[in-house]
Amino acid sequence: MAEDREQSMSKYKVPGMRGPRNRQVEKPKDMQKTLGRLVKYFAHERMTVLFLSAVVFVVVAASVYAPRLQSEAIDRVSGREFDRLTPILLFMLAVYGVHGVGTFLQSRESAVLSQRVVKKMREDLFDCVVNLPVKYIDGHSHGDIMSRMTNDVENISNTVSQSLSSLFSGILTVLGTVAMMLYLCPPLALLSCTTVILTIAATKFLSKAMRAFYRRRQELLGELNGTVEEMVGGYKTVVAYERQEAVVEEFDRTADELTRSGIIAEILGGSMGPVMNVINNVGFVIIAAFGGYFAVNGMISIGVISAFIVYAKQFGRPIDELAQIYGQIQTAIAGAERVFAIMDQTREDKSGSRDMEGAQGVITFQNVNFSYIPGQQVLHDFCLEVRAGHKIALVGATGSGKTTVVNLLMRFYDADSGEISIDGVDIKDIDCRILRQNTAIVLQDTVLFADTVRNNLKYSNEQASDEDMIRAAVMSNCHDMVMRLKDGYDTMLSGEGYNLSQGQRQLLAIARAFLAQPKILILDEATSSVDTRTEKKIQDAMVKLMENRTSLIIAHRLSTIQDADYIVVMDQGRIIEAGNHEELLSQKGRYYELYMTQFSGNTI
Amino acid sequence: MIKYLRKYWLFFILAPLFMLGEVSMDLLQPRLMGTIVDEGVLGLSNGGVGDMSLVIHTGLRMICLVLFGCCCGIMSGVFANLCSQNYGNDIRKDAFRRIMALSFEQTDRFSTGSLITRVTNDITQVQNLLSQCVRGFVRTFLLFAGGIVCMLTLHLSFGIVVVCVLPLIVLCVIFFIAKTNPMFTVLQDRLDRLNNVMQENVSGIRVVKAYVKEDYEKERFGRANDDLVGTQLDVLLLLSYMTPIMNILLNVSVVAVIKVGAIQVGAGHTTPGDVMAAVTYISQILNAVMRMTMIFQTVSRGVASGRRIKEVLDCDPSITDGTFDGETETSVKGKVEFRDVSFAYPGMGTEKVIEHFDLTIQPGETLGILGATGCGKSSLVNLIPRFYDATDGQVLVDDRDVREYTLSALRGKIAVALQKSEIFSTSIRENIAWGDTSADDGQIRHAAGTAQALEFIDRKEEGLDTQVAQGGHSLSGGQKQRVAIARAILKNAEILIFDDTTSALDLKTEAELYQKLQKEYPDTTKIIIAQRIASVKDADRIAVIENGRLAACGSHAQLMESSGIYRDIYDSQLKK
Repeated sequence: MAEDREQSMSKYKVPGMRGPRNRQVEKPKDMQKTLGRLVKYFAHERMTVLFLSAVVFVVVAASVYAPRLQSEAIDRVSGREFDRLTPILLFMLAVYGVHGVGTFLQSRESAVLSQRVVKKMREDLFDCVVNLPVKYIDGHSHGDIMSRMTNDVENISNTVSQSLSSLFSGILTVLGTVAMMLYLCPPLALLSCTTVILTIAATKFLSKAMRAFYRRRQELLGELNGTVEEMVGGYKTVVAYERQEAVVEEFDRTADELTRSGIIAEILGGSMGPVMNVINNVGFVIIAAFGGYFAVNGMISIGVISAFIVYAKQFGRPIDELAQIYGQIQTAIAGAERVFAIMDQTREDKSGSRDMEGAQGVITFQNVNFSYIPGQQVLHDFCLEVRAGHKIALVGATGSGKTTVVNLLMRFYDADSGEISIDGVDIKDIDCRILRQNTAIVLQDTVLFADTVRNNLKYSNEQASDEDMIRAAVMSNCHDMVMRLKDGYDTMLSGEGYNLSQGQRQLLAIARAFLAQPKILILDEATSSVDTRTEKKIQDAMVKLMENRTSLIIAHRLSTIQDADYIVVMDQGRIIEAGNHEELLSQKGRYYELYMTQFSGNTI
Repeated sequence: MIKYLRKYWLFFILAPLFMLGEVSMDLLQPRLMGTIVDEGVLGLSNGGVGDMSLVIHTGLRMICLVLFGCCCGIMSGVFANLCSQNYGNDIRKDAFRRIMALSFEQTDRFSTGSLITRVTNDITQVQNLLSQCVRGFVRTFLLFAGGIVCMLTLHLSFGIVVVCVLPLIVLCVIFFIAKTNPMFTVLQDRLDRLNNVMQENVSGIRVVKAYVKEDYEKERFGRANDDLVGTQLDVLLLLSYMTPIMNILLNVSVVAVIKVGAIQVGAGHTTPGDVMAAVTYISQILNAVMRMTMIFQTVSRGVASGRRIKEVLDCDPSITDGTFDGETETSVKGKVEFRDVSFAYPGMGTEKVIEHFDLTIQPGETLGILGATGCGKSSLVNLIPRFYDATDGQVLVDDRDVREYTLSALRGKIAVALQKSEIFSTSIRENIAWGDTSADDGQIRHAAGTAQALEFIDRKEEGLDTQVAQGGHSLSGGQKQRVAIARAILKNAEILIFDDTTSALDLKTEAELYQKLQKEYPDTTKIIIAQRIASVKDADRIAVIENGRLAACGSHAQLMESSGIYRDIYDSQLKK
């Protein structure tokens, strides 16, 4: 009966508590191996685990023992030995007290344990993620990586904090109850086991029947949510093309089907309770009938019957529950498998030890070959030399390999063959941190962090003083803009900086690059999504930024790069033309063609 | 929202009735158990001699009753689900239909995310509320009331225990709910922050690495993680007091019932079997109280969700049909006129996006619109198909105020392709065919060809039948834009609006597109919003918009001469 009460309490919706019943169960691929690794996380918490086990043991013992006392009390009542009743009742209270304190310690300790483990696991995972090669992040959906870091870890956390101790206490309860029943009356105990068989059979049958409908419902729900998301998100187009009716019809179809399978699934799920009730009562009648028979024959006392009634209930519950917990544990382990899959990725190769002190910034690409996917070569025998302090531009259609050059120079990726060197030193020999510290990059998609403007600017150089920061902001034409913000440099940028316009974000990113005081500067389509007059403002800032620095510029708009010292025209991973603006124009080749379409324009 | 129940009133009544059946059986059980123990086993009225046949007899009766209860329970579930899920489905469909009829200012006000939650989560909550009402609540209430009645009929003195313990339990539950609820808000906030840090790191990995910030980020993540874990632990620790306290209260009342029962048995007022039954009843009553609190949580969530859905259902589209169906007049085709138009986004106060705008676009004319981001270009063209209504002034299409048209007549005249090309997760063919559902393959290919989209479509293995991933993620920006353009072209409307739809195309493709468009559809009025001067340079006229006002309008040559702003833009792009 104590178990009965706990059950109802655990239905409170608490983060870290068990999810809804009948959730989809995932099967892990290699359960043993993953389990082994999970166990390692608990190894650090050995003392807590031991203490928790002890507590669970006490709690189970108390909840198994209490009904026995209850039955004794009833015996005293029916035997009219009222004077001997009070001590038993007091003892009962004491046992219940122990049970209460134990339950308290159990939930407390398992909360502490799970949070510690989860914290450690999140930290480990994050450590892996920031140190993953860019290649991995590029090659996997961000949603998938995020879901491993959030859902999967959360799932493990829930299982650890709830299911594990339930599992433990469930097993102990079953064992304890069976032992107690066997001790009290072996024949009656064996008879009670028929209920167990019935319970298992019913659970198995019903959950098998349910599974298909729950799965179908889950699919349809996903489909429905997808439709809503897509149609509400693309509402303008839906309206512009007068498609409302068709969309609503499609939605209705899915919604109706969802309702149909939902009803069946829920009815099956809901019948579990009444069916269990029947089984429990069958158990009760068996106990009463046979118990009565035994009692009439003087084999057992009346109190034993009442104890058996409680015990039968007590061990029916955990068995029903264990089936559920088993599914949760499987799902959690499948999640853990995905988490460990990230942790197992080889970390970014950051070997190399040479310094860049006093480097000039001469960049050389020598016969570099590279492919993202084997067989689809992106750079062919790429050779390029950038003199120190020069401003060099890469132009070419999308997919011509411009950004790849940057990826290789920053060591986001490593070349398949050939050598990239700075001042004659292979970049693989240079300490990766130093290489990157000396190379500032401004990207097309401006990345700002949900932090103050100040911290965003100083992101590139934590040691910079406020004066340095303001100087950088002034140079990049964004000081005035920042001062107009509500709290100036202490303004919090919202997630991903959405409370600024694209142009303002770009200016901040440039100021950030400024503050880094890099030897080499890379601008990858840094101004493409800004209107041209704002771009001019940004460009003026960039001119200052590029002074005396080796800079590499990638741009769509030729206006951005006309005054570069050297322009490289790329096509399908090869350099097809190179020279300065005038030279290239006079060649009347690809650059000329690009220039003419862009500047003289064609008929509309 | 109660009116939606009308259709399912029978289910709504049957579910609780069957529940009543199930609960009555549940309530009869302890009594029968008592009889079995007292009379069958103990043989109290038979001088201490048990009666096996009574045990078997009563036992069978009990199993029959329980089986009957089980059937009632299942039937109650059937009707409760039929009622609640169909009810939810009807509301869901109506809500979605309503959303699809809303005007933009309304969808803006609700925000896309919130609308999605309302049609999905909120409906589920309301559904749960209803099924809780007809089943859970009825069951719990009957168990509670029935339990008390049964216990008191056993002997009135058991009531003392109930009277003493009940208020304690209720107080305890209220205390914990009041204490934990605000903590959940904090918890959600902390979780969001942690997720945000992760999101930033995954999508901004290049910047993190470029500035060698791995350790810094680890520290930042560590702080967010500590905060989250700390809060979560606080909640869990608080809750770890709750279960034991409840259990102790329950167990104490069991002891109390036995004690009270013992006194009564001693006085000969009641029997040991009754005491056992009373023990069962008391835990039933107290469990019901605790379950009731959970039901109240579902109910309060459901009511809040219901309110949010009602907001959608009660929202009448603010832009309504006019009466003119556009069929009668044929003289002018494709004329657009702005007469002293001012526009402020609803709910944004008096901050005007467009001010006193006057412009007439002649049939067949190509008009380019240039201006800085946020100057009101898109807002202006949104007024033509009545995505929004002008705050002041008039917008006329073919010499009739747009508000006079029926919406479908008006929008039938206009084809729009948006900058954020909205591509749907179906085949490319389907996506294009949205423009004209009756179009055959040839027409679709022709439109795609004009839009310069065939080039990439034909390179795909499945051509037009290639499936597009949700959100159009399987296509590049330029490809999506071309599909959206093909869709607009296929519609073959009088007025074609490109709202910065060619920004992701390279200049050569863009130029070819415009050339072909001009050649194939010379009579269509084309309104082209662009960033690049090259895109609009050869338009008949170019309107330069600054801060919501028409700054200049004329051909390229005229503007070069007369407009300082235009020259400025030109210089910034051409660097002459």
